[in-house]
Parts: sequence; C-alpha cells; structure tokens
Amino acid sequence: MSRKLTELNELKAKLRKGGGDASIEKQHAQGKMTARERLEKLFDAGTFVEIGLFVKHRCTNFGMDKKESPAEGVVTGFGQINGRLVYASAQDFTVIGGSLGEMHADKIVKCQEAALKVGAPMICINDSGGARIQEGVDALSGYGRIFYNNTLASGVIPQISVIMGPCAGGAVYSPAITDFIFMVKKTSQMFITGPQVIKAVTGEDVTADALGGAMTHNSISGVAHFHAENEDACIEQIRTLLSYLPQNNMEKAEEFSCNDDLNRLSPELNDIVPENPNKAYDMKDIIKSVADNNVFFETQSEYAKNILTGFIRLGGRSVGIIANQPKFMAGCLDINASDKAARFIRTCDCFNIPILTLEDVPGFLPGTQQEHGGIIRHGAKMLFAYSEASVPMVTVITRKAYGGAYIGMCSKHLGADIVYAWPDAQIAVMGAEGAANIIFAKDIKASENPQEERAKKIAEYDNMMMNPYVAASRGYVDDIIEPATTRKMLIAAFDSLESKVVRKANKKHGNIPL
Amino acid sequence: MKKFNIKVDGVMHEVEVEELGGSMVSAAPVTQAAPKAAPAPAAPVSSGPKPQAGAGSVVAPLQGTVQTIKVKVGDSVNSGDVVAIIEAMKMENDIPATASGKVTAIHVSTGAKVAAGDVLLDIA
Repeated sequence: MSRKLTELNELKAKLRKGGGDASIEKQHAQGKMTARERLEKLFDAGTFVEIGLFVKHRCTNFGMDKKESPAEGVVTGFGQINGRLVYASAQDFTVIGGSLGEMHADKIVKCQEAALKVGAPMICINDSGGARIQEGVDALSGYGRIFYNNTLASGVIPQISVIMGPCAGGAVYSPAITDFIFMVKKTSQMFITGPQVIKAVTGEDVTADALGGAMTHNSISGVAHFHAENEDACIEQIRTLLSYLPQNNMEKAEEFSCNDDLNRLSPELNDIVPENPNKAYDMKDIIKSVADNNVFFETQSEYAKNILTGFIRLGGRSVGIIANQPKFMAGCLDINASDKAARFIRTCDCFNIPILTLEDVPGFLPGTQQEHGGIIRHGAKMLFAYSEASVPMVTVITRKAYGGAYIGMCSKHLGADIVYAWPDAQIAVMGAEGAANIIFAKDIKASENPQEERAKKIAEYDNMMMNPYVAASRGYVDDIIEPATTRKMLIAAFDSLESKVVRKANKKHGNIPL
Repeated sequence: MKKFNIKVDGVMHEVEVEELGGSMVSAAPVTQAAPKAAPAPAAPVSSGPKPQAGAGSVVAPLQGTVQTIKVKVGDSVNSGDVVAIIEAMKMENDIPATASGKVTAIHVSTGAKVAAGDVLLDIA
C-alpha cells in the first residue's frame, strides 16, 4: 500500500505543477499568479477541494497524443468563501496556453452543473489563449456547452467571470452571459477579434490593451463591472461582492449584524442639495450617508457615470442602488445609463436583493446621436426591468423628477412600493420655463411686455407645480420627509417589505426590448 | 508600391505610395497637426477640422454650451480638477481634468456650442 500511496502522491504533485517551473516563472514575471495560486487566494485557507485532477485530453491529431496536459489545463472544484460554498474553475495558462479542448471544457461544464445542482455561486477564472485548434470542432462544442450552461444557470446562481489573462474569440461569450465580469489592469484582455486580425482586415492599428483591456471594458464598452490594479485586489473585490449576493435565487443575501445605529440621523443631508437647481452635487455622498457604516460598493464605476449602481447595506441587509448622478452629465438618462441601470435592476431582482432608487433626473438626453442610437429601445429596458421586478423597491426623490424620466426612475406607477420625496423635490412634466412657454404661449404673445409676462408665468408655474406636494396629494409620493431622517425611513420601509410577494400571470418569459 | 483609398472632405482618392529606403526623420509628436500632413499613409485620415482626442484630452461628455474655461494654456492641473463648466440639461456640469500635467492647448472659448466628444483642451 505504501508504494501505491507514494506513487499517487508523486503523480498528484507532478500534475499540480501544471506546465512546470519554467512556465510558472513566466506567468509570475507578467504579474500573474498561477491557476492554483489564484484559487488558494480566492477561497478561505485550506478549503478548496479539487475535482478532476486526472482528466486528460483525448486528441491524437497533429502529435497531440504525445502531448501531456496536466489537469487538462483547468483547475476545477469547490470550497468556501467567507464560510459559504462556492464552485470555481481556473484556466491554467502554463498548460498548452490554457487552451480549451473537449475535456478541458468538460471539466468546466461538470463544475457548472454541480454548482447549479446544489445552488452555489460559480466563479470562472479565464486565462486562456483560446480554442485548442488541434481539437477542431470538439473545442467549439466545448465552448457551446459552457455558454448553454451559463444561460441555464443565469438567474439561478450568481455567476462571476474573472479575466486574468487573454480571453479572446468565442471565449468572451461565457463571461458576457454571466452576472459580473472582473478585470485586472494591464494583464486582462477581452475581444472577439484581436489586434492582428483587425490590422489584417481593416488596417487599423490598435494595442491589445486599448482594444480590450480592463479600462476599455470598464469605461467605454461597459462589458466589465470591476477593475483592479492587480490580481490580489481583484480577488478581494470578488470576495466582497459575494457578501452582497445570496447563494441562489431561492435565498436572500446573508444578513450581517449591523453596528451602525438604525435611527442614525444625517444632518448633512438637509443642506446637500444646492438651492440653485442648476448646481450639481455628488449623489455618492447621499448614498454613503444613509448606508451602514457609510460603505457603498459600486459596480461599473467608470461606465455611464451619470447613473450609479452598486450595493450598500441597510440595517445589515444587502440593498441594490440605482441613483442618478447630477455631478456627471447633469444626471440625465442616455443609452448607456439606461442599459447599465436595466441590467443591474435585473441582477438584483433575480437574486432577491431589494432596490433603492435615488432620483434626481432632469430627463432623457436630447440629440440625434441618442435618438438614432435607439434611446427609445434602450430606455425601454429600464422601464421594463423596473416594472417586472418583484423585489422590495423604495424610491427617494432628492430633487428633479421630470417627465418620462420621472416615470422611468422607479416611480410608484412602475411598481415602487414606497416613494419618498425631499421637500425641495420637483415632480413635474418638465422644468418651469419650458412648461410656462407652452401653456401660456398665447398670454405671453398677447402681452404688452412679453418678457415680463413670461417671467411672471414661469414664476406662477414654478410656485404651483415645481414641488413634491402635487404628487403627494395624488398619492404618487407616500411622504415628504426631512432629508436627515432618510436612513431610518429607508430601514423601516425595507423592513416592512421583507415579506413582499408578487404574483404575476403565468408566462414563459416577458419580451424585454433588447 | 502600395495602393490606398483615402477619404478627404468626403471624397475618395486612390493614391499609390512608394516606400523609399533610408530612415525617415522622426516627426514631432502629433498634437493637432493638419490631417493632410500626417506622415503615415495607411492611417484613416479624418477630414474634419476638429482636433483629435489624445491621451490627455478633455472632451465634452455631452452636448451643451461652454460656460466657463477655468484654466489657461500653461496652467498646471491635477487629474480631477475642474477645468471647465458646460451648461447642458439646464445644469452646470463640472468638467474634470482627465490627466495631470500642463494645459497645452484650449480648443474652445466661452459661449461655444460643443457636441459630445468634442475636444475642449489638451493636457500633457
């Protein structure tokens, strides 16, 4: 027996070495960890259990029969993160460039199926040159099976993709289907066609980083949700994100003990909104002010900055935030902001995370660029997502709530359970100037002094309509609250909605305007 | 001899370019050089007079009117400093510097109408 054991241990040690010392050194030189080092960091110490260490490829083409691929270039298994069960796969770039073949894919697919079966989050760490060309259509089949499982698992278990190296061609579509994508500056790349192909086909010169690096996808394309300076920081972000998510769609996110006073007042909020409606302020200050311990965990922080998305805790419970940001592009809604918000609303809804909407919206961004880009179609996604969401939803109108954008930002009409307004809120069809010019067009024209008349009518409209009281008199706003009390009002509101159940007509699925 | 199609002011031109031996004198870094003078023939040439956005360019995030330019050429700025205010959507939008350095060029003046993506100023 001892001989057999020695054999086993030697074999395991050899397989765990992956591509060997030289390639491991190369990986380290690029500022990258190996697949196993990453998993070790990601999981609570000593909890990772590997599955499928002995799996081998079955390819005999092009001399592949003589090529060894320890663990088939991908480490898979399960373990604990902050004490909770999580499944993960990590591609091993030191083994044939982390290329994906039939059996490599099979390991990932098995891991996905296991996570889905037990209802645990699944994390895929991508670091792969792409399809293992020698395996031809078997490699392609592998990708297809992974995408299919990503889709089946979508909305059932949280799926997190981590790009820690190249992720090119078809490979990008697994991350794209998942809930969150993490990238690391300098070492992560995602693209459908790489710089060389682009050069050959269109003549365009572009570096891999400019084309599909971490900041490109975090700020320009909106493909990724998080960026980090290095792999350690990235892994910390993943662990933090998981703390806001439940294990699956049948559970609620873990409730943490809250050491921040539930009734804490925020006197600073009484003065945060400038008297002049043309002046901006930082909505993040409001979010932090109401959140437990002033912590706001932002998602997609560099993309469509006119809308903020992310997580906070209120009284220990995870809450998703959608908030207009007056500080950027006046906080207007445009195509990118609508897409960003819509996706986040759905992420929260499928994982039973209540939604807090903080609203200060001057309207949709006008212009041919927006109209031709399909703002109608994109804006509709946000309205659809809010209307369809069945989690507790509370809205606070801090200032402007104009026209269609007011309706769109989780108004009572789209299903908000409770809507609060601050005293300086302006809930109206449009700004006073525009409205007065239309309603009193004739009076202004007929007047001896149109300038004066216009100013008078604007003031008249302003007095009558630009406040929260009209909406409150109809019940569209449930209460007008002192800003300083927002935190306790929100905690009480979400408390009251804890057992909310919405029953809807049976259907296959809605037809969201994609 | 290589053939290229170049679009200038909306008109396509077919040009042939012959590669000569010897090293070229390296050109000064292009900041807002006239597009036609660009030495690389293969690059798609923009015909518009608008300056091209470079790494340190501050661009208008949305369409609006330039209300204030808060810096002069030669000023030192830090990334995040407000360098201009654009009035749009009836709001005064602070436009922050996207890089730290010296302001090398200002392309717009107070009162100018700008479109999303227009370069306001360059920082290097």
